[in-house]
Amino acid sequence: MTTSANKDKNIGFPLNIKSTIPKHRQELLKWNGWGYKDSQFVYQDGKVHFTGKRYPIGEQPLPHLIGYVTETMGVDLNIQSIERDPPKEFDYPEPNIPQNVFELLKSLEIPYSVKIMDRVTRAHGQTLNDVFILKNGQFKRIPDVVVWPESHDDVVKLVKFGNENNLVIIPYGGGTSVSGAVECPQDEDRPIISLDTSQMNRILWLDKENLVACCESGIIGQDLERELSKLGFTTGHEPDSYEFSSLGGWVATRASGMKKNTYGNIEDIVVHVKMVTPRGVLQKNCQAPRMSCGPDFNHVIMGSEGSLGVITEVIIKIRPLPACRKYGSLVFPDFESGIKCMREVAKQRCQPASIRLMDNDQFKLGMILKPAASYFGIILDGIKHFYITTIKGFNIDKMCVMTLLFEGQEKDVKISEQKIYSIGEMFGGVPAGEKNGERGYMLTFVIAYIRDLGLKYQIVAESFETSVPWDRAVTLVQNVKYLISRDCKNFGITHFVINSRVTQTYDAGCVIYFYLGFNYSNISDPVSVHHQLEEKARDEIIACGGSISHHHGVGKLRTKWYTDTVSRVGADLLVATKKELDPNNVFATNNFLTFSTKSKL
Amino acid sequence: MSAKKFEDLLEPRRRELSNYFYINRALNPQVAVQISPRPSPQSHQEAVLNSKKISELVTEISQKQNVKREEIVKQLRLILEEIGYKKNLQVIRYLGYLLTKIFLKVSTGVYVNHQGISQIKSQMGKCPVVFVPTHRSYADFIVFSYVMFAYDIEIPAIAAGMDFQGMMGMGEMLRNTGAFFMRRSYNDDSLYWSAFKEYVNQLVSKGDLPLEFFIEGTRSRSNKSIVPKYGLFNMILKSFFLSQVPDILFVPVNVSYDRILEESLFAFELLGIPKPKESTSGFFKSLTILKESFGNIYFNFGEPISTRSFFQHKSQHSFGSIHLHETSEEEKKLIPPLAYEIIRRQQLCTVVTYTNLISLILSKNLTRGQQYTGFEQLGVEIGMWKQILQSWGATIFEKDVGEAIRECLKVQQKLLHCDENGNIGLVTNKISVGKLNPSKLKAHVLSEDTISYSVPFIMLQLYANPILHYFVDAALIVIVLRSFGKMIKDELFKHYCTLRAIFSYEFVLLESWFKMRFEDALLKLKQEKIISLHQNGLYYDVFENKYFEEVLISSVQPFLLSYYVVTVVLETVSEMVDEKTILVNVQSVLENALRENKIFIHPYCLTLDTLGNCLMSLAKNNIVKKTRRNNINVYDVNREAVRKLKANLEIYIPAFHVIKSFDMFLHLKSKI
Repeated sequence: MTTSANKDKNIGFPLNIKSTIPKHRQELLKWNGWGYKDSQFVYQDGKVHFTGKRYPIGEQPLPHLIGYVTETMGVDLNIQSIERDPPKEFDYPEPNIPQNVFELLKSLEIPYSVKIMDRVTRAHGQTLNDVFILKNGQFKRIPDVVVWPESHDDVVKLVKFGNENNLVIIPYGGGTSVSGAVECPQDEDRPIISLDTSQMNRILWLDKENLVACCESGIIGQDLERELSKLGFTTGHEPDSYEFSSLGGWVATRASGMKKNTYGNIEDIVVHVKMVTPRGVLQKNCQAPRMSCGPDFNHVIMGSEGSLGVITEVIIKIRPLPACRKYGSLVFPDFESGIKCMREVAKQRCQPASIRLMDNDQFKLGMILKPAASYFGIILDGIKHFYITTIKGFNIDKMCVMTLLFEGQEKDVKISEQKIYSIGEMFGGVPAGEKNGERGYMLTFVIAYIRDLGLKYQIVAESFETSVPWDRAVTLVQNVKYLISRDCKNFGITHFVINSRVTQTYDAGCVIYFYLGFNYSNISDPVSVHHQLEEKARDEIIACGGSISHHHGVGKLRTKWYTDTVSRVGADLLVATKKELDPNNVFATNNFLTFSTKSKL
Repeated sequence: MSAKKFEDLLEPRRRELSNYFYINRALNPQVAVQISPRPSPQSHQEAVLNSKKISELVTEISQKQNVKREEIVKQLRLILEEIGYKKNLQVIRYLGYLLTKIFLKVSTGVYVNHQGISQIKSQMGKCPVVFVPTHRSYADFIVFSYVMFAYDIEIPAIAAGMDFQGMMGMGEMLRNTGAFFMRRSYNDDSLYWSAFKEYVNQLVSKGDLPLEFFIEGTRSRSNKSIVPKYGLFNMILKSFFLSQVPDILFVPVNVSYDRILEESLFAFELLGIPKPKESTSGFFKSLTILKESFGNIYFNFGEPISTRSFFQHKSQHSFGSIHLHETSEEEKKLIPPLAYEIIRRQQLCTVVTYTNLISLILSKNLTRGQQYTGFEQLGVEIGMWKQILQSWGATIFEKDVGEAIRECLKVQQKLLHCDENGNIGLVTNKISVGKLNPSKLKAHVLSEDTISYSVPFIMLQLYANPILHYFVDAALIVIVLRSFGKMIKDELFKHYCTLRAIFSYEFVLLESWFKMRFEDALLKLKQEKIISLHQNGLYYDVFENKYFEEVLISSVQPFLLSYYVVTVVLETVSEMVDEKTILVNVQSVLENALRENKIFIHPYCLTLDTLGNCLMSLAKNNIVKKTRRNNINVYDVNREAVRKLKANLEIYIPAFHVIKSFDMFLHLKSKI
């Protein structure tokens, strides 16, 4: 039903795509950090700048950053941590795979590698723990072999092979997981195969009539958007990781994109999905827009985090490219007024494609990352005019900025802008220009690079997120910040940052994103301390009515709260599903719950 | 611990030429929570009116009663004005000045453990802080605010009873320093209580002032702790349970006085002669106190208790509108242990003064029939007690013993006197009661003789009471052993538990702490050689330290006696009996026994506080069932249970033999 039916009408399909990311990722991407090798914050000759031309911030001095890291974070720029070299073959044990099984694998004629860099690269995602280990230590367990299937059929073969030979398969997409989901369980003694989907990245067909496209799951966000836009379309799905993360990964974690207000979250975008399990392929028989047909098994696949099977092909909705795209921003006297405004916007259901609210700390951080002359100057810049006239009452240490992105027909954008700004006014908001809005979104992509700079100077940092009903949002933020500040002190941490932003709005609540970082020069086990802080924060989030996660997923990091979140019955249901789909625990990810790897389920 | 732990706030005031500059110094008071813009008294009231809870209630009432919303809002504004605190720096400074002058005149010192308060101050700014002082006098309110003023901490929003409002001028004055007012009477004015609860909720979750309230609910007339009251405490904790605030810090504070302003009033009240209604004229009458000396006031700030750490609890309020949530039943169960913990910590903060020790020792000597205690003997006994209490972890306010006794005699000159030979005893027959209106008495119409005989004893006991908690558990163990003879530990614990449960209102304690207290007391008793182990460590028995044994037994004698007589009375009265009848009968039995003057009976056993505690305890232990009818308490007596308890207490009465060879038991029997 996929390729053949549409072949004739779809000239040029299946579309083979040359991905931005090479098969051996480490050739373009950092092996031990976030993003492109050529893009990073560098401290040199008393100045910090961002390298490369990929991002607008690149190749410009960032004079305010030094003051911030030295004063706020207590960094001593003269002390730079030494990061370890890329691992050599002898750093890790030989692949744990019996010769006969290995021969069988080879006979499948699917590209593979047992090179150490390929294996280590796929042993992790992007959690603080992962990156810290890359820079300072060694993983307890890495995949024994990496395979690159090139089609759905390859995956079927691999899963069958794994199931028959008592192997473990861990699906690997874009490698941007922040839940520990792709990490190998440490005590797994069966051979572990990392199934890298990156070579299954074709757009198989495109249905302009119904506005859907069938893609292989390994396609990454930027490739998908680039290719679709050539044809005049977009998915509109833009998670912050979309440069690197894959379609399959989005489905497997229930991803959410920045522009979900216009285009929906992944569950709204997915029309049909195929998942290869040891029991066969789970899928539906049509691409109808909605069905009343018992529990929707798409929702068994979505969020399964690689523990039930491999997602191979996904039919997604596409939209014509918008005619107009416009940024905007509003400044509010404080966080609470900003939230009230968001609530009202959500109530009237007039959200633009994206609406976000940064708290004062993030607002300042954004300003600090501005290439400009003076700290005072940067706040004035762009919002100068309103500052002089209206700001008087605004407190620099309280104010917050809301960033907006409008997409659609020009006249609709105009109407939408008017509406948002007038609601903003009701809550004391003052328009602060397009530039500030645009910078806000640009920074989203750049901020991910900051951690690598921090780690060089003894700063650990990580983000965590949640979703919460509207009436509990303000207290949730307040309590988490209080708790982190208190416990940082208890741990003897002297310099830390805990800030937040509201990144999504819904009818019934919003999404809150926290960023927590601290100077660990006097802490012996910073990753564990960070983990403990995050755990306390999550306990408090849940006590305040927040969720286990909005879009990062559960993985291994958040198993503690899984059963309580879904109830005992829910957890048992997952176990039963697992037993049915993967009786031999081939997909032994240990995400959600620890399914026994030793005894068969 | 040495007196250096404490700093005298009056010391610098005494030295300066004028207190004017001190009072008018620039203030930068520490708030409990940093909030900007700062909430104001008015903004809190507006926030209550605009809260979802209240506006929904207004809508509901206006629909139900068909009244305009504005009407109800108007009523609410009046209510909120009645409740709400204000802040007037001028009034604060004026009161500060007045108080400085008064203190300098009548007090020798206002002592504060400065480290404790500095520690709290340094922790403030992040989450609600609630000061929970002991309540022994009306002066608590004002002196507490004075201490805050001295340490430049924002004067708390203080929960005060409406009775203060009746004092013309006084109420408004207190309001201007931050007092907010709570009606005492339990009416079902739902509008009032909804507004009040929401007001408290605002103060806790959106306010920046510290809060202050008295967990005991009222001034303790007996000068010892009373069981916690939960109304306001629950309201404060709601914000925590609903995660509206990340934590609440409760700061237990012990406030004590060398001499309580209301001591004689309390003594009368304890006998059933009612207090005058708080009125300004009463207040001015009390201005005659300016001619007297009241010694020191002590403030001991304990370590803050983090509610969050104490409860370690998971919130259960994830569904539905958060403003409609109330503290759940499960959460309510967590509250008493925290309340009792606060009281326990208040007790641990007790500053033991020589006045306390002198009262304890004199009372013991009086009980053993020794009317006078020599100056030297008193000194020696004080030394012994100091040592033992110190080893038990008490904070003693150190001084030279001789000087301390002389000072105590001076401060307590209405109560104690010392003849030329250095013999110290009670001042007797100085109290004239005048004509009493029997209808106004709370219980038995005691004769004037009884009253004037009893009052000094009761007043003396008031100053021994605050330190009884250090040894009441030991005393009960000794009484059991003295009555039954040697006993194995399990058996001993069983007897201890029975007695302890009966006294759990008298000497505030949670049942779940019995075991801990028992073990602790055993250890102390062994250390002091009051009891010892016999026969291969199997049996406990009283040992060689007869002195302490005697003090221990005498310290609880009046209480045991009262409770015993209550059971005796309950056996004879009808099965449904009102409270007053019980009180009258008990007091009358005891008055008769006292009059006989054959043996010594401590008049403290007449006190209504103790009898009230006893009745509450009996109700708690299902020996009586308390109901309220036409505004009076009526008891349904479980005869069988009373008989059992009586038989049980009866065993302990002869323990007093130790004190003097008399048969109190038989003596009492003859009176009944």
